[in-house]
Amino acid sequence: MESQSPKDITDYYKHLSLFWTDIIHLMASKPQALTSIGPMRAFASNSKKISTELIQINENLMEFNKLVTEYYKQLSETWSEAQKKVNLKAPDVPHDTEQMESFKRIWIDIFDNDYTELFDSEKFGENYGKLVSKELELTKHWNNISNVILQSANLPSKEEIDEVYKEIHALKKRVTKLEIELKKKRDAKSEGNIKNEK
Amino acid sequence: MKSESKFDPKLIEDMIKFGKNIMDAPKLVSAPDEINLEVTPHDIVQEIDKTRLLHYRTLTEKQYKTPLLISYALINRYHILDIQPEKSWVRNLLLQGFDVYMLDWGTPTSMDKYLDFDDYVNGYLDSSVEFIKDETSTEKISVQGYCTGATIATAYTSLHPESVKNYIATAPVIDGWRDTTVISNLAKHMDVDKMVEIIGNMPPEFMYYCFSVLKPFEQGIEKYVNFFKNIENKKFVDNFLRVEKWLGDTPPIPGELFRQWIKDIYQDNLLIQNKMYVGGSHIDLKKIDMPLFTQVAVGDHLVSPECSMPLHYAVGSEDKTLKMYPTGHVGMIASSLSQNKVLPELGKWLAERS
Repeated sequence: MESQSPKDITDYYKHLSLFWTDIIHLMASKPQALTSIGPMRAFASNSKKISTELIQINENLMEFNKLVTEYYKQLSETWSEAQKKVNLKAPDVPHDTEQMESFKRIWIDIFDNDYTELFDSEKFGENYGKLVSKELELTKHWNNISNVILQSANLPSKEEIDEVYKEIHALKKRVTKLEIELKKKRDAKSEGNIKNEK
Repeated sequence: MKSESKFDPKLIEDMIKFGKNIMDAPKLVSAPDEINLEVTPHDIVQEIDKTRLLHYRTLTEKQYKTPLLISYALINRYHILDIQPEKSWVRNLLLQGFDVYMLDWGTPTSMDKYLDFDDYVNGYLDSSVEFIKDETSTEKISVQGYCTGATIATAYTSLHPESVKNYIATAPVIDGWRDTTVISNLAKHMDVDKMVEIIGNMPPEFMYYCFSVLKPFEQGIEKYVNFFKNIENKKFVDNFLRVEKWLGDTPPIPGELFRQWIKDIYQDNLLIQNKMYVGGSHIDLKKIDMPLFTQVAVGDHLVSPECSMPLHYAVGSEDKTLKMYPTGHVGMIASSLSQNKVLPELGKWLAERS
């Protein structure tokens, strides 16, 4: 038997999941079409979308895990390096309050410097940027799943609500501009009246 | 083999005392939630959307004619400028005879995700300036911007120089490429388009992360150790809790505003290159021709001096002053140094021009 790579296994399960989701959808949609205004009908017709999103979440999680591992690897490597420096600078166990204070100061200064250097580095910034980006993609899939559920209940999706927010924002801007114009006209008129009175 | 115990009994005593302090803390100090951060009496004179314009009640018989409007940062809230009577920036200015207003940006919600630089500069800030001009019958007022509030105020003074008599930029975020802080590194690697598209407003949790990477051990461990060590020092504890409460209270930043701020300031650095546009209008720093007072903290790990100082050299003003102080971002505005040096110097400069 040929050994299969993790990618082959993932592709197999992806195909298996989509196959059964499609088949069940096709089999189920006909009798459910009888109750075409019910929320379950809408939910059934969108079930494939949810399945696809879940598969993509799974793929994203694999990427996310790689990035989060690298993130903690960078943190732990910096910790080890900083601790080595502390050990070199303060090899003895502190025995009195003064020594304890000095030891703590050395420890904090070295750790703060090393971690600041890490957070300031290109390698950290790059990995961190990708990690946040992957988290956002996961959020997007979750949003997409939520949208399917909202639509199946005849509720507006996030995009539709955003459209409303955008429209309100544009309207507010227009109203503000009109108010400013109106104020200018009123001011000009009252100035004109004062001049005429004079 | 003879065992040697070299531990100083004082060390053990200190550790026991430290443990006792932790146990006693809830009996000795208020919970942060019980602390009221509104210190100096004020009136809310204008409200637009979620923003509020605060007017502080005068503390002197005579006042300078030109009022001062403070444009606070977008991160955390304005309370740090009035954190407690002895360290209050606002109170100090009032006692020097200035008429002080503060713009509170409020707490944006999901509905505000489309608010952008234009809304903040030509909307909220401009409306506040116009209100103060009407209210005080003055043609020009003094404007102070702090941190990111100074980025907004800088854009405003460039677009509306006819309304600004004096401009004070305190730790302004101006030249993103020169900024050497950790925040700048994170901002440069951020896919801000994706962030705004997917989550809308910049959530406070993300801000807390960004702050937590700044001096993580000093800020994350040492300051709490000091808090418990000093639990019986009422003054220390009160100040600590006030600052902690302020630090833990940051509103979200509207998505579109955040997008433009990260792209134009940190990623493309348009402001200092005179290439930035707000609401379709070009921001030309040379148009800032009124007296300018720039305040920079040498130990600022949020906005590095290299990021702030270029403003002094980029403006068109002939009457300009650059002051550097041996302190940090918060130390410049809420410390004994700010009370004894930063504010008296600012007051003297402003009084001569008000």
